[in-house]
Amino acid sequence: MEIKKIIYLSMLLAITVILSIFESFIPLFNGIIPGLKIGLANIIIVYSLYIYGFKDTLFLSLLKVLLVGILRTGLFSIGFFISLSGSCFSIIMMYIVKKTKLSIIGVSIIGAIFHSIGQVVMAIILLKSFNLIYYLPYLFIFSIFTGIIIGSISKELIKKIPKYCN
Amino acid sequence: MNIKLNKNDILLIIVLLIISIICIFILNKNDKKNKVATVYYNNELIKTIDLNIDKTYEIEGYNGIVKIKVKNQKIKVLEEKSPLHLCSKSGYISKSYETIVCLPNKIVIEIEGNDLDTVVK
Repeated sequence: MEIKKIIYLSMLLAITVILSIFESFIPLFNGIIPGLKIGLANIIIVYSLYIYGFKDTLFLSLLKVLLVGILRTGLFSIGFFISLSGSCFSIIMMYIVKKTKLSIIGVSIIGAIFHSIGQVVMAIILLKSFNLIYYLPYLFIFSIFTGIIIGSISKELIKKIPKYCN
Repeated sequence: MNIKLNKNDILLIIVLLIISIICIFILNKNDKKNKVATVYYNNELIKTIDLNIDKTYEIEGYNGIVKIKVKNQKIKVLEEKSPLHLCSKSGYISKSYETIVCLPNKIVIEIEGNDLDTVVK
């Protein structure tokens, strides 16, 4: 594996970790749904999916969940598993949808939607509270907007910072 | 920054919006009367609260005492010890599908519709 690629991926990892910790300090519509976030870290995930491909992105995202777990939410806590499941769902679905005719914005919307589905499914399993499924339709509407924002930013990022290595 | 959506994206957004609006509509219809709030700690039912009585309750959470307030058939978390205070910020809930989740305190408060006219204390 090329050293250059490892360096770029580790820098991306650092950025995602910082973005997700930074984001947890921004309160956003706390009154409506707890823990609602734009998902700034997903800018890097979407960018990486288009530049470095599925495998590296999955690895990047798993490491991000692990590091944020150590630094903030606590390793192997309920929040850790919720974000793990959300990340896995969203990356796998984005990878599948990427092959269709959807643009990067559509892929990002699918990512946001399945991120919330993954989180809610894991929360239902861990907390044994089926009522949480009622958050999903509200999360869907919010995900459409965050998906558009994240997708557009990633699109610009891909234009500005092209692939440095193969 | 220019946001460019192609036809497929717009179709996706419209389909998702319709699905979520239909879901919200169905959920709001499901609201029942005679509600009780159930409090779970670590997935175990520890308390059932009648929403018809205005009162403040204190429950032992993982990080300390969690204060719960019932007023006008609505329930909220008043005070709790956690880094972000998400559950005390989430405010009153009253509908039969709403939930307050307090992850750091391992507490979940659910509202359940009670079809039978029972008194649970």
